[in-house]
Amino acid sequence: MEKTKSFKYHTQESNLGLSITDRRLAYVRQASYNQSQLQEPPHTPISIFPDESAKPFLSRSISNIDTISHHDKYFDKFSIFRALRSGNRQMKRLFLLISLNVAYSTAELAIGLFTGRVGLVSDAFHLTFGCGLLTFSMFAMAASRQKPDFAYTYGYKRLEVLSAFTNALFLLFMSFSLAVEALHAFIQDESEHKHYLIVSAVTNLLVNLIGVWFFRNYARINLFYRSPEDMNYHSVCLHVLADSIRSAGLILASWFLSLGVQNAEVLCLGIVSVAVFMLVMPLFKVTGGILLQMAPPSIPSSALSKCWRQIVSREDVTEVSQARFWELVPGHVVGSLSLQVNKGVDDRPILQFVHGLYHDLGVQDLTVQIDYD
Amino acid sequence: MEGQTSQHGQIIEINVDVPERERSLGGNKICGEAPCGFADAATNSNDARERSASMRKLLMAVALCVVFMSIEVFGGIKANSLAILTDAAHLLSDVAAFAISLFSLWAAGWESNPRQSYGFFRVEILGALVSMQLIWLLAGILVYEAIVRLINETSEVNGFLMFLVAAFGLVVNIIMALVLGHDHGHGHGHGHDHHDHGMGHRHGSRITTDHHEEHPRGEHHDHCDEENPKTGHHHFLDKHHRTGEVLAEPLVDKPKFGPEQKKQQNINVRGAYLHVLGDSIQSIGVMIGGAIIWYKPEWKIVDLICTLIFSVIVLGTTFNMLRNILEVLMESTPREIDATKLEKGILEMEEVVAIHELHIWAITVGKVLLACHVKIQPEANADLVLDNVIDYIRREYNIIHVTIQIELRAQDVVLEATVLKLHLDDEFINELHDSVLSFAVLEKENAYGSVAINRTWDSSIGGKCRP
Repeated sequence: MEKTKSFKYHTQESNLGLSITDRRLAYVRQASYNQSQLQEPPHTPISIFPDESAKPFLSRSISNIDTISHHDKYFDKFSIFRALRSGNRQMKRLFLLISLNVAYSTAELAIGLFTGRVGLVSDAFHLTFGCGLLTFSMFAMAASRQKPDFAYTYGYKRLEVLSAFTNALFLLFMSFSLAVEALHAFIQDESEHKHYLIVSAVTNLLVNLIGVWFFRNYARINLFYRSPEDMNYHSVCLHVLADSIRSAGLILASWFLSLGVQNAEVLCLGIVSVAVFMLVMPLFKVTGGILLQMAPPSIPSSALSKCWRQIVSREDVTEVSQARFWELVPGHVVGSLSLQVNKGVDDRPILQFVHGLYHDLGVQDLTVQIDYD
Repeated sequence: MEGQTSQHGQIIEINVDVPERERSLGGNKICGEAPCGFADAATNSNDARERSASMRKLLMAVALCVVFMSIEVFGGIKANSLAILTDAAHLLSDVAAFAISLFSLWAAGWESNPRQSYGFFRVEILGALVSMQLIWLLAGILVYEAIVRLINETSEVNGFLMFLVAAFGLVVNIIMALVLGHDHGHGHGHGHDHHDHGMGHRHGSRITTDHHEEHPRGEHHDHCDEENPKTGHHHFLDKHHRTGEVLAEPLVDKPKFGPEQKKQQNINVRGAYLHVLGDSIQSIGVMIGGAIIWYKPEWKIVDLICTLIFSVIVLGTTFNMLRNILEVLMESTPREIDATKLEKGILEMEEVVAIHELHIWAITVGKVLLACHVKIQPEANADLVLDNVIDYIRREYNIIHVTIQIELRAQDVVLEATVLKLHLDDEFINELHDSVLSFAVLEKENAYGSVAINRTWDSSIGGKCRP
């Protein structure tokens, strides 16, 4: 079969044969998917080491081989249009969502200013904050495709995790402020300012439901992240979901008030606040764990101790110390290790053994320091 | 092993139990026991002392804040004024920021465990990030309040009262800034008497552990920073001169010229300081707005414009710190370390053939780690080269936590790629070479000495091949 001109595994466009609504492909690994489409059907590559057993080499879960073609190097500073044009589906959807939100919030702000309604203005501000965050998410999506350079030796993928963390943080702030508002309503017992917000709440709800529909693949609380983009999309989905819950709560509150239920506001706001908090907490914990460089949750500590024991049980190794592992982004684990070895022992087989051992666990980047006694 | 006395007459004794095997020729290669900051952060005395000093500062600031806040709340309820209560709410936000900073400082001292192998130092950074988000949120809230003021009738907004309340808030913030702030450097004629007692014995104290006995040049452990008041001009802008760029990046001199490594102020104290600074800037803005409304009640829009301008200024002050935070969180090479120079320096050593996968990153501002793979000549003594490289890094760049993987250069492995293509032009061959190289590098197996593409000519296809 004649191979195409470019051997590049490029991620420029996701020419997926399958539609993205197929649930099984909700989390698409673009690079490896493209690769398999361009060439022969995926097979387990065999290593070319003559002395090594035929162990599968490319046994990583994510194939991060995305070589930017030459002419793109000159456009390295992304512009938003180029990013959009080459962006994947989710990015385009996000852009649409953001523009909808921006339009809506500016309209609300203008109307609020002209008619002098404070409630509309506050809602517009809340929306603007949300918009800003979604813009940062989109920026992270675009910027994280850059290749690693001298200053950022690990690349820019962390930006996605950061944006997910910021989204989660904002949602926590929002839940906290809703709780404060509920308390305020409980103490003050004034309720007339909810009524004229119905129209804005309904429109808000509709806009956010559109967003939820766009990102419906990620509409779950606990998700197993296979790539940093997953995390980012998940955070965006939770953001719009939480916003829609909030609007729904406001609508419900005014409906109950019109029905004459006492303390309807307090109840609804309280429920919304608790719901948003519980929605966001898992994402916050996971992103926080990654940013704090916790041991990777995807690798159980029993597996790590098993590796430890296996290494120590080798006859030349006297001690293993300072085994530290952390997750750069979901799916990319980095580690470092220190070995004490008997003098005069050839280090290559030991190195290969250790690398292979941890490679099987999913630790792609490993630095092993061998000290001779 | 004992330490040395500080210049303030304090005797600081450090008893470090060093296992025998670390007394090898090249010094301690393994960042093992007590001197290593990760393993037992609590017993690292200098770190702990700095942290407790910062905590003391913050506690003082919190106490002041609470006192002032209760005064304002009381006065606000008495006078039934919304403006005073709003300002009290801003002070409450200050308290929240201080609480976050305190918590981060305290949490950073927790001992590391297997799940958190690097300790909890990152908590500082995350806490500072949350603090910055709060500042942004508050700036937005203030703009919102200005708009509300614009919408509401003038009679509800008393310009004079606004002015007074904002002035009071400004005074409070300035006091707190003084409590928190004066620790970044020693230039411009501010003596040490400005500093509160908490930081007093950090200056001029010098702790050497046995760790450094083999390095007579007076190299300093990462955690034993000395701020020598006589040397090292610290570039920073006094806050009285400029409000916009208070915490410009200090220049860090190479440590081999002596104990000159300036340590930046603890990032959480910096964050709290920025909070307070932002509040004082906003108070100034509100004061101006209040004065305008008091003087000319129909120029309400000026108040809004003023608030907007000052909010933008406040966001500008957070920019530097956000950049620092972002750089640490993205695991990027810290600013003060020149990775190219380091790589060149290591390459210049004899017997070092190549260095790849060099990663330098920081756990928190000031704690830097390095990991790389170094390829050496097959005949070289791996141990010696390892010692040399680690020495060099520690000496020149003061990076203590170093992990080096020494690899002996293997024989050249040739990747043969049979290309079935009609026209083999140069461009295609170059692209192919690049792709295969990146493929090989990405494989992270360093046995590839070089990659050569053998062009074979498959007669069945009938293509041309240039030699």
